[in-house]
Amino acid sequence: VVDHYENPRNVGSLDRNAKNVGTGLVGAPACGDVMKLQVEVDENGRIVDARFKTFGCGSAIASSSLATEWVKGKTVDEALKIKNTDIAKELCLPPVKLHCSMLAEDAIKAALADYKLKQDPNKEESEKKA
Amino acid sequence: KEQYYSEQHSSLINKAYRTLLNPLSRGLYLLELNGVEPAQETDCDADSAFLAEIMEINEKLAEPENEDILEEIETLIKVKQEELTKEVTAAFEKDDLQEAKKLLAKMKYFANLEDKVKNKKIPS
Repeated sequence: VVDHYENPRNVGSLDRNAKNVGTGLVGAPACGDVMKLQVEVDENGRIVDARFKTFGCGSAIASSSLATEWVKGKTVDEALKIKNTDIAKELCLPPVKLHCSMLAEDAIKAALADYKLKQDPNKEESEKKA
Repeated sequence: KEQYYSEQHSSLINKAYRTLLNPLSRGLYLLELNGVEPAQETDCDADSAFLAEIMEINEKLAEPENEDILEEIETLIKVKQEELTKEVTAAFEKDDLQEAKKLLAKMKYFANLEDKVKNKKIPS
């Protein structure tokens, strides 16, 4: 069993200015945890690399570590389907720590939303005008 | 039996004192008294500049010991906490509970940072 608590994987950063990198920055106000998750997407819409930096409890770190492992190799749409319940189940999170898996799910979504926005800045412009 | 009651009361008074002494816990208690639940949902890009700032301070703290930087960070955190406390007070005075709720959420991040700095200062 891969131990995300003791040996988190993919800790670090990607170049947030690169066009194919999406950055998600989320916080949990109840416990004050912060989580940054980044994905690198290739021309085919497949996530080829992911990194995270989380400052918070062990469950938050483990959740984001697992999240980065899971998104790798998935397409953007597939990654959007990752649910906090799956993360929580995989890590056997106790009820009091379920919000940590939610934070990880939100971080994935935020990173992918950022990536999508970078791919189509014109869309954002037209949405603003609308 | 009297001792039991005394202990209960004593414990409650201690808890009350601690809660009211700390601005964050005091603020959260005030929210509770007004029937407002403290922030629960994830902060997403709602205030990404703020989160980025918290991230940056955390990253600096995670770097190897440097007493000067530690002092700098400690001062920064204190200043921010004082600012936020003033803003929360103003919000409560205006009866703007939603604003107080948002500000108290921000205070939580700084309270965590304060704890981290304290832990770093304890000689290992």
